[in-house]
Amino acid sequence: MSPFTPRWRHFKDRAATVSVTAGGAGVLVAILLIFFYLLYEVLPLFGNASIEKRSEVASPFASAPLYLAVEEQTEMGFAVFADARGSFFQLDSGRVVLEADLATDLGPVSAVAEESAGKRLLAVAHTSGAVSVHAHEYRLSYPGGERLITPRVERLYPELAIRIGEGPLQKLALGDNDDALLVVAQDAAGALHAQRYNRSENFLTGEVNFDLEILPLPTLAGETADFHIDENLHWLYHIDSKGGFAVINLRQRDGTGKLEVASRGELFSGGGQLSESAMLLGGISLLAASDRAELVQYFMVRDGEGGHRLQRVREFDTDGVSIATLLPEHRRKGFVALGRQGEVQIYHTTSHRRLLSESALPLGAGAAAISPRADALLLVDADGSLRSWHIDNEHPDVSWSALWSEVWYESYDEPAHVWQSSASDNDFEPKYSFAPLAFGTLKAAFYTMMIAAPLAICGAIYTAYFMAPALRRKVKPVIELMEALPTVILGFLAGLWLAPLIEDKLTAVVTLMLALPVGVILFAFLWSRLPLAIRARLPDGWHAAVLVPVVLFIGYASFASNDVLELWFFAGDMRGWITTELGISFDQRNALVVGIAMGMAVIPTIFSIAEDAIFSVPKHLSYGSLALGATPWQTLVGVVIPTASPGIFSGLMIGLGRAVGETMIVLMATGNTPIMDANIFEGMRTLSANIAVEVPEAEVDSTHYRVLFLAAFVLFMFTFMVNTVAELVRQRLRIKYGSL
Amino acid sequence: MQTHALDIQALKRDQAPSEGPAGPAETSLRMENLNLFYNQNSQALFDINLEIPRQRVTAFIGPSGCGKSSLLRCINRMNDLVDGCRVQGRLLLDNEDVYDRRVDVAALRRRVGMVFQKPNPFPKSIYENVAYGLRIQGINKKRVLDEVVEKSLRAAALWDEVKDRLHESALGMSGGQQQRLVIARTIAVEPEVLLLDEPASALDPISTLKIEELIYELKSRYTIVIVTHNMQQAARVSDMTAFMYMGKLIEYDDTDTLFTNPEQKQTEDYITGRYG
Repeated sequence: MSPFTPRWRHFKDRAATVSVTAGGAGVLVAILLIFFYLLYEVLPLFGNASIEKRSEVASPFASAPLYLAVEEQTEMGFAVFADARGSFFQLDSGRVVLEADLATDLGPVSAVAEESAGKRLLAVAHTSGAVSVHAHEYRLSYPGGERLITPRVERLYPELAIRIGEGPLQKLALGDNDDALLVVAQDAAGALHAQRYNRSENFLTGEVNFDLEILPLPTLAGETADFHIDENLHWLYHIDSKGGFAVINLRQRDGTGKLEVASRGELFSGGGQLSESAMLLGGISLLAASDRAELVQYFMVRDGEGGHRLQRVREFDTDGVSIATLLPEHRRKGFVALGRQGEVQIYHTTSHRRLLSESALPLGAGAAAISPRADALLLVDADGSLRSWHIDNEHPDVSWSALWSEVWYESYDEPAHVWQSSASDNDFEPKYSFAPLAFGTLKAAFYTMMIAAPLAICGAIYTAYFMAPALRRKVKPVIELMEALPTVILGFLAGLWLAPLIEDKLTAVVTLMLALPVGVILFAFLWSRLPLAIRARLPDGWHAAVLVPVVLFIGYASFASNDVLELWFFAGDMRGWITTELGISFDQRNALVVGIAMGMAVIPTIFSIAEDAIFSVPKHLSYGSLALGATPWQTLVGVVIPTASPGIFSGLMIGLGRAVGETMIVLMATGNTPIMDANIFEGMRTLSANIAVEVPEAEVDSTHYRVLFLAAFVLFMFTFMVNTVAELVRQRLRIKYGSL
Repeated sequence: MQTHALDIQALKRDQAPSEGPAGPAETSLRMENLNLFYNQNSQALFDINLEIPRQRVTAFIGPSGCGKSSLLRCINRMNDLVDGCRVQGRLLLDNEDVYDRRVDVAALRRRVGMVFQKPNPFPKSIYENVAYGLRIQGINKKRVLDEVVEKSLRAAALWDEVKDRLHESALGMSGGQQQRLVIARTIAVEPEVLLLDEPASALDPISTLKIEELIYELKSRYTIVIVTHNMQQAARVSDMTAFMYMGKLIEYDDTDTLFTNPEQKQTEDYITGRYG
């Protein structure tokens, strides 16, 4: 013996130990890294907002502005004063950049109204009763590589010469869309006036004409405290000082020729007077705060009798703060609320969250504005200071309730689970409910397992226990080879070939599903009745071969009889019959297609593991049972299956995990509609397909992007849990049936 | 190293006198020109002719691969489970041909119980192991099962050891206990014949002794056929002994006669340890 042999062997031992340990640990570390990376991307969704002081300079203005705005880059502000002059100024230095004329010829200003949050369209009421409309704009240029913002104000519709009454107006509201321009104003006496300028365009010359229509407002009880117009110029929301509301339908007149009041009621459940109200981005939701610290959101809903009512949708917990100012965000369904004592609170409506609640900021009394990106808050005080704060509030739109509970979205008649992550306009309310996606995932997995589990397990039992060894040696590799089939091919076949086939031959498919099990059992029964001489010719374990023509025949017969059966039972149209008689809608790409296609992908997994488990049940156990006079079937049920149960179970669980995580098939064969309906003839959208569909279009680090990561995290946790449960159950079963 | 014939009387001296039926025993099993083929060109048994008496212990001895286990497995048709296995000739149990086409194999195996070399309790409780044979016959009455389980466990001399843990897993028992449990499980279905295929070869000496005592107890009620490697064991427990070599039955006689005064040279060589 060479003296080096033991040392060499020792080294090999060590090397093997180290490399195996490193490999195992590497796998765990990789999984942990994925876990933590997902978590890292997801966590900002649940963070709160923060606010910090940015600048404070002496105000260049002698008085507090009537209106204040901040431009996109948060470099410049715009203020409107009572002398009908506007000023553009640097936010951080307070230096005035440009003075603008807001129709000084019409006299001093008594009220200013913004068309809607972020639209930079102003209605200015002059003391003479005239109303001018202005837009403020900012042009970006980069002379010498430096960013230069050039602001300007443009007067719109001067030709209309809008005038409401003779005296100064107390308050006004402006609505502007493709159909009309609407001005509602309250005169010095407290009376409301509404003037609509209906737009008509000459399509030959492109010239736009306006026709003035004075709208006959109904007489409303109570003293007007505030009023708003919705985006479609359909509703006028009127709030009196006692907190009562009346919604006037601007398109419908009642018997007396006045506009109809569509809905009346009290805004606040706890009494109290209105202290502030505002329209949320999009002009659908009305936000109202009472002097008793109540903060509520309302919007119009159909009431089921053809009418509409103003529905209280949510109330926000202000933590006892009485809100003085509401500043809706310009891009999201959130808003900033300023309290009377210098409190700053940030809310989001869809997610029903209060993201920030700071008290005792030196706010003072004056005008306030938030920037278009909701990252800056600007205040110009009456006491002569100009302050700005930086707000960090990246992802207000996600909360546990928004993800999993029913949410009452704007323009919906009732709370619902909806996934709709993007739309064409900025006013859109993103709907991030995971419920339809999780439901779709489970639905796809359920129908898959309905088809795959019985086939795979029965197949595994037959192959492992009854089939002749020579046949088994061929069948098993063929089924396992199916696992190598790319799922994109299965999905492609399912979507483009199977789905139209099932739609076309629905009766045949249903017939086949009923006839096949019945036919096989019937054939087995007839076989057992055949004379022994015939049966004995077939060697043990080759019965499956006899079944092949039977299965082919039943398949052929089902499809051949499709038209006849459909004519007999379903008046020639089973699809129509299902829709009209059963009230189930039918999609071409539905759960049945997915179940079959994904079943094909999952069957080899379950089959392979279950077959191995059954086949590796020690022979001496089944011999022990057979030697006691048990039939093969009794041995199978009494001894083999219980002993193989850990393996069968883990096969099922791994199959389930695969069905849950599978992407390509569900992407191509489900139709990807995020609906919550267990109906087998409708589609679904799964978490995995949703990620695949939407990740390419999600802006990096946006809320949508992070929500998709959260979906990935949920999926990861889901498969992790399924596999953990599977492993725990398997361990238990192994202890129970182990040490054989 | 043993070079002389075994002293049978010395071996049997310690045991209690047999209470088996006196006088010549009637035949339970008869084999007539039995041939066994594992496939076309491999024959395992050649023209076996043998009569096994009722309520006696018959031992098959012989070197490894001589076909003694194959012969045993012919009796309850366990060889049917081997792919390509074929039997020629007749094997009569109480004058009925076991290989007749009309024979229900499951029913046959209820009459001919078998205990294997390696203890093979099912992964179930002790109670369920013993009750299994009854349950597969559709007997599920708790009273009947309780009674049979106790009786069988007592008969297998296991009752006192396990009566407090009947519902625990049988896999937690020692090898010797497991083997006796398997015997209890087998006799619970009241077979006529008990086939023991080297029942003690995987056990320690004390467990072996217990199994041998058990065989001695059981022979008053069952026809027992035992395959063993261990000549002392064959000499200790059996009434009749068959010596097999290369798939052929060389000699079959009273155990005393075969061990003390073998007729064949091969038998003498084997029992004196010259080969095997």
